[in-house]
Formats: sequence, structure tokens, C-alpha cells
Amino acid sequence: MLIATIITIAIVTASQLITQRIGLLLDRQASELLAADLVVASSAPLAQSYREKAGAEGLNVATTISMRTAIFIDDEPQLVELKAAGAGYPLRGQLETARDLNAEKQRPKQGPSNGEVWIDTRLSAQLGQSILLGKQSFEANWLLTFEPDRGGSLFNLAPRVLMNLDDLHDTGLIIPGSRVRCRVLFSGSGDQINRFRRWLKPRLQADESIQDIETARPEMRRALERTRSFFALSIILTLVIAMVAIAITASYTAGREAPKVAILRAFGIAQTRLVGFYLREIGKLWIIASLVGIAFGWLSQFPLQWALDGWFGRELPQVDTMQPFLVAALVGLVSLAGFCLPYLLSVIATPPMQVFRPVTSRRSLKRNVLFGVSAIVTVFLVLILLMQSSLLAVVTLGVILVATLMLPVIFGLLIRALLFSGNHRFWLKRYLLSRLRSSTRAAIVVMSGFSLALLAILMIAIVKDELLAAWDTQLPDDIPNYFLINLAREDVPQIRQSLEQQAIASSDPYPLVRTRLAAINGVPVAQIAFADPRASNLVNHTFNVSFSEVLPDDNAIIEGQWIAGENPTNQFSVEQGMAERLAIKIGDVIALSVGAETIEAPVSSIRTVLWENFKPNFYLIANRRLIEHKPQTWLLSARIEDNNKPALKQLLQQFPAITLLDVSILMARIQAIIDRATIALEFFFLFALASAFIVLLAAIQTGKAERQKESALLRALSAQNRQLYSVHVLEFTLMGLLVGFFAALFASLAGWLISVQFFDIDYHFSPTTWIYGLVSATLVLTIAGTMVSRKVYNISPMKILRS
Amino acid sequence: MIQGASGSGKTTLLGLMAGLDQSSSGDIILLGEDLTSKNEEQRARVRAGRVGFVFQSFQLVQGATALQNVMLPIELGGKADAFELACKHLQEVGLESKADTLVEQLSGGEQQRVSIARAFAVEPTILFADEPTGNLDAKTGKQITDLMFRLRDQTGTTLVLVTHEQSLAERGDVHIQIESGELLNAD
Repeated sequence: MLIATIITIAIVTASQLITQRIGLLLDRQASELLAADLVVASSAPLAQSYREKAGAEGLNVATTISMRTAIFIDDEPQLVELKAAGAGYPLRGQLETARDLNAEKQRPKQGPSNGEVWIDTRLSAQLGQSILLGKQSFEANWLLTFEPDRGGSLFNLAPRVLMNLDDLHDTGLIIPGSRVRCRVLFSGSGDQINRFRRWLKPRLQADESIQDIETARPEMRRALERTRSFFALSIILTLVIAMVAIAITASYTAGREAPKVAILRAFGIAQTRLVGFYLREIGKLWIIASLVGIAFGWLSQFPLQWALDGWFGRELPQVDTMQPFLVAALVGLVSLAGFCLPYLLSVIATPPMQVFRPVTSRRSLKRNVLFGVSAIVTVFLVLILLMQSSLLAVVTLGVILVATLMLPVIFGLLIRALLFSGNHRFWLKRYLLSRLRSSTRAAIVVMSGFSLALLAILMIAIVKDELLAAWDTQLPDDIPNYFLINLAREDVPQIRQSLEQQAIASSDPYPLVRTRLAAINGVPVAQIAFADPRASNLVNHTFNVSFSEVLPDDNAIIEGQWIAGENPTNQFSVEQGMAERLAIKIGDVIALSVGAETIEAPVSSIRTVLWENFKPNFYLIANRRLIEHKPQTWLLSARIEDNNKPALKQLLQQFPAITLLDVSILMARIQAIIDRATIALEFFFLFALASAFIVLLAAIQTGKAERQKESALLRALSAQNRQLYSVHVLEFTLMGLLVGFFAALFASLAGWLISVQFFDIDYHFSPTTWIYGLVSATLVLTIAGTMVSRKVYNISPMKILRS
Repeated sequence: MIQGASGSGKTTLLGLMAGLDQSSSGDIILLGEDLTSKNEEQRARVRAGRVGFVFQSFQLVQGATALQNVMLPIELGGKADAFELACKHLQEVGLESKADTLVEQLSGGEQQRVSIARAFAVEPTILFADEPTGNLDAKTGKQITDLMFRLRDQTGTTLVLVTHEQSLAERGDVHIQIESGELLNAD
């Protein structure tokens, strides 16, 4: 029991530390898309009080101002996206520069120095030339090959020019009425950022908005949410396995203590004294287990850190709170109290004669119900401690609970069926059945315990595999890597034809009509208090609306009807996330400003969108008639390989208005997150696997003494080694097959439920789950069981029979 | 008959003689075979079909019937007519009517009779019995002793018996007295 409790505490400590550290790392990586942990954006300079508060909180602060402007090179104007970056930029991630396109890339610690500018690779011809920015001339001495927060906004159309913020004033580019985007970047620990965010939110002005990793690109948010949910699931299931070990060992310990307690009670020792004694013993056990478990848990981070550091290219961030250790100790205490006390109290309350001459009574049934209720309450308390109010935790608990209640009943019925299956003449079969009959309870405990452990393992494996498969399919090899935007409507057929001739795969073309949300159900959006803070992004910015008769790829209608028919009435189809943020329902009337006009129509459907597919995706899609004649440009996405680049150049010469948008950087970032998350998921899987093995050993250990005694008896009756092997192999193989079958069955059902409900991924029935379940349970149980029982092969039977 | 006080080493001696235990020194010859250098598997082979054992605490397979317990050593020895032999031996100990009863549902005396039937079922050359009446009342103990001696006389099996009951010891042909692991006398 001490070992099982140590393992539980070690698992909680390690899982808390590791998930927090990986979570921090993933957040930081996602933060690189913002070049910060949190950004406040506005069209006007931000209040100094924000910076002062951030300074007081110990946050790092940097400022950028960006605007679209024209630069002059040899008196030729060119439209650029100018960004002026202050000291410290970027706070997360790194800039990359090069002398020319083929040269080795540099990673400067800071942005441009005073007097210099770094220019986009699209302006590479101008490197080394003098560039006139407003009233000032600058030397373009570096190519800017990578900018961490560049991928955060897909439609950065013009080439980038990066300059020092201190030089911006002298250019005279900012005058009253200039359209600029001011961004103040903040970075710090999770706690510091959360505290600052809480302080900041109520103070934000109408034009100011917070951007953080949660409000970053939807592709990124989905990847992070899924990873976090998977970690949560892994922790829950790994803990369930560890608690099964405590429950099994508690039952075993109570059985072993029963005769001692009965003798002490027979000698007149008061029950209260015995309760006090055992409470002190449990207290001592908890203290020792906490110290050792926390130490083990802390140490177990290092193999992961060692394994991940090389691949992550950096160190895992440290966790600077005591919370993982305190939670682990508390989980240990709750588990011990919940699983051990009912058993020990029951033993103490049992009349001594019932221990010496056990009889099955209604009381034992009542006791079993009490143990069951206590175990459920304990698991629930532990989950609340770890997961707070997570619905995922509740559903997982429900699945485990159903399995816990059903598995012993199923195994009990199966054993009964086997016992009544006829008069067996083959000694081995008969002997095994007699073993099952005499130790039905032990067999049920072993099979149920190991089934639960295997169920948890298979559930983790199923969801992990589905998750990885979903990611794989979302980032296939032929995923589009370029958006062709700014296409004139009349050029679209010719451009598509040209792409087809070059064997370049492209998406369907979509029109883009620039709009701004004006009103919902006749109420101007400025007057609506949205409950969801992410609503401000949609309300304060312009966004593109498209029209289509065909539901785009990877979109699915979850409510209402898709725009269909010959001449449909005016209507909108809304993306699910937008509908949630703006609290939009079917039938609500949305009004959009398009230039000086306003258009309005009711919402006819709500769609899910697979943002990760890098195809044109839209928050709002209208019917054709509603926006067909509004000012518009068109876009399409395409997969352009290096060998197609010359053909692309030709296309750009033919249609000079086309703007090409390279999204491969954003894809690479998401792929990096997926890769890192995959490593972490695999590590967790190993962790759960190790825990399950402990359960297996604990379960086998409970019946070990009895099994050894019976084997010694067989040996005394002159049984040979092969006959003893046959007994053990057949017994554990039978158990393994039953365990594997039911664990795979429950895991498939639970995997389906969790994949579909919580990870929003399609579930595919996998025969490998059944193969893994059956083969692993049979092999592991048979090998471990035979190994544990092998002692009898080399020990004198007399020693065992007399012990 | 092996006699001695509690803890004198009677059961240990019996276990060594029967090849159920390993000696740390000295030689043990059973039925002409030296057990000393043999491992567990080899000693089991020596015992197979030639040695029977009756334990003080019966040591029956729980969850199995009386008949199945008696059949077990016969089948382990690879004999085909286990069922008939087991029935015959159960009949000899007077338990044919309890053949299909689970052993845990039998009384102590009945369980020891099943144990004796099981020991004689392999038709052993030598049968070791470790205080076979130690867990039984005097009357049942007497019945069990009578049964063992009757079967001994019928089969010609050598009976090596550990006891601290003087009345039982007197029925033996050879008497060994031990104390603290030392052989005091043998006659």
C-alpha cells in the first residue's frame, strides 16, 4: 500500500509538473506568433498607465507601430507595410535576417538600430540602396527573412519594412489622422500575465483590444486546446490507474490485518483504540509516501526534459509554484482515506468469530456497497482537486464508474457460467475451474483491476492516435501553401486555367467583400455588451464576407439549413465560433457596412469550419444575390512547389495585380506545435503504461500467496514443471483474454465518446485497439503472472505449505 | 513412527525424507535414489507414483469435489483410469456418497479421509503422514488412524508417520525419537 501511495503521489507530482511545464512551453511557442504573451492593439497610442502597471508587475514591455505607407527608391514609390519596433521587440521568438536570399540566416537579438531599415525579401533588389521614408533616408542593409508575429495575420499584403521606433518621429509619417496600428507587447510568467490581463480588461478603451494566444489564429487555438484537453485526459486516466492500485492493495492489506484485529478484539482491545492506532498508521504512511512520492515525481521530470530538450531546441520552462507538490500530497491523503479507511473500519467492526470462520452475509454486501460509494467519492474528490469543474473529467469519471460497476458483475457471471459449463474430465481444466471457484473474489479483483488499468491505457492510446491522425489529415502534404489574393473577378477563370496548365492544385475561388459588423437584430453593435471578450475583435475590425452556393470543403452545418435553391432569399451562414462569441442564433438579423451602404439578412445556418486546412475560410458567407454586386476581390489557395515557381513568375507578370501570400511560415509554426505535443503525448502514454504495470503487479500480488500454496500442493503431489507451467499459463491466458476483450470494448466506446464530444475529431473504429487489448492483456498477464508464480518451481513445497 | 516435542523437527525430518524439502547437509536416499543433489523437478519425478503424503491440515484443493481431489495425483501421474481408481479409493475410505461434494463443505474428519484416499490413490510404495489426527477430535482421530493402518495392511505400503500421541505411536514397528533436531534413539 505504501508503494501504491508513493506511486500515486509521484504520478500526480510528475504529471502536474510536466503538464505545467509543457503547457508553458506550448504557450510560449504560440506566443511567438504574437512576439509576446499578450498584446494590446489600438489605432491610437496606448495609455502610459498600461506600461506602468506592467512594469510594476515585472512584465517586459515593447512597442510597435505599423502602418501602410509608400517608400521611395530612386524616386519610385512603392507601397509597404511599415513597422517601427521599440527596444525589446520581439519579446517572444526571434527575428531572422540575411544578406541575400541564399545567404546564411542571422538571428539578431534586437530589431534595427537607429538609421537602418530591414526590408522584406520581396524588396531584395533594393538591398544596399537608400530608401526614403517620409522626410528621412535610411540604408536597407538586411533582408528580413522571418518575423515571428508576421504569420499572425494572414493578409499582410504589402512587403514589410522594419525600422527602429525612435526613428519614426523624424520621418514625419505620423500626422493627425494617420491610420496606424499601435501594439504594446507584454511578456512574463503565466501568473503575471493573468494578473495583468485581469487588471487591464476593465480599463480597455473602445478601440483597444487584447490579443493573446487564445485570441490568436483559430488554427493555433484549436491545436492548443486539443493538446491541453489530452493532457487533462491523460492525467485523469493515469490517476485512475494509480488509484486502482491503492484500492487493490488496501483490500489486500485489510484482509491480512483482519486476523490480527480479530485476535486483539478477542482479547478485549476497544474498537476506538484500534481505530486510533490505524489512523496513526495511515498518517505515518501518508507522510512517508508524500515525501518519497514527491521526490520521485520531481525526479521523473528529468528524463522528459532530457528527451524533449533536444527536439524542442530549448529548455522546458520551470514551474515556480508549490502547487504541484501540495496537490500531490492532498491527492495522496484523499486516496488513502477514501480507499483504506472503509476497509480498515470494516475489519475493526467485524465480530472476531466472523473473521475466524468467515460467512457470506448481507452485511458483506452492504460493506461492498460502502466500499464502492467511498471509492467513487474519493475518485471524484481527486478529480475535482486536479481538474476543477472540467466536464471532460466528469465524463471520464462516468465512463470509469460504469466500467467499475459493470466489469466485476460481467466477470462474476462469466466465472459462474464456466463453473456450470459441464463435467470436465481434463484435469487441468477442472483444476482451473476449482481455483476459480475457491478464489472467485480474487479473480474478479485481478481481472477488474487490470481491465480498468488497460481500459485507461487503451483510452489514452485511442484518443492519442485519433488526435494525431486528425492532425495528420489536417496538414497533409498537398496542403495549400500560397494564397493568391487581390484577383479581379474577370481574371479568375484565366488564372485558374493557367494554374491547371502548370499542374498546380488550387482551391475553388471565392469573392471577398470587405465589411464591418454594424448591427444585430437592429441594435448597433457598439451598444451591445457582449459577454465573450473575444467579441471585440469581430466588432472592431473589418472582415471579409464571401458568397457561395456550395458549402466549402471541411465545413459542416450544425444548425439550420445551408443556402440552397435556385434563387435563395437573402441570408447568412455564420461560423460556429463567431456565433458563440456574438451570441448569434438562427433567425437573428445581421447588418453589415459595406463601404457607405448597409446590407442586412437573417442567419439561416451555423457552420463548423476546419481552420487548420489552410483553404479559404470565412466567418460569414452570404447568398450570391446579397453581395454579388458589391466591390470585391477574389482569392484562391494553391499548392506551389519550388519547381512551379518559374511558372508562377510568368503568371504574376501576366496579372501584376495578384498578391501572393506565403502561409508556409504559419504552417511550419503549427506543425512545430503538433510535433512537440506529439512527443509529450507519447511520453505521457509511457507514464500511464508504467502505472498500469504497477496495477498488474499489485493485482497479481493479492492472490500470490494462495497461488503459491496451491502450486506447492501440486508439487507435493508430484506435479512436474511443465504441468505447473500449464496451470499458470492457462489461468493467466484465460484472464488475459477476458480482460483484453472487455477493456477493448469499454475503451472503444469511451474513445468514441471522448473523441467526438471533447476533441471534435472523427472517430474511426480501429481493429488495432482490439488486437492491442487482447494481445497485450494476454501476453502481459501471462508473462507477469507466470514470473510471479515461478518461485514455486525452485522452492521446496514444504517451506510454502508450512509458511 | 517419528516422535518428539513441538518444534523438535519432526515435520522437517518427514519433509526431507519425502523429498518435499531440501537438506543443507547430509545425504537423503529415498527408494534407492539419492535426493541430495536433485532439484525440485527431479525430486518430484522420484516421488511420482511411489510416494504419498497426508498433511495435518489436509491440504486439499479448495473449490474441487472430493472425487476431483482424489483424481488429481492420478492424472498428474498420467494414468488413464483416474476416475475409476479415485472412485475405488473414495469407497475404501467410506466417502463414495460424498464424491461430488466440494471439499470445503465436508467435516474435518471427512476432509482427512479424502486426503488419505488421495495419498493411497497413486498406490505408493511409501506414505508419509504428518500428524494426520492433529486437527481432529479423539474419536475421529481414532477412526482415521484405523483407516490408515487398514489400508497399509491391504496395500503393503510403508507408512512413515509423525505423531506426538503415544497411543498412535505404539502401533508402529520402528520408533524414532528426536529432540531439537537431534536423533535421540531409534528402535
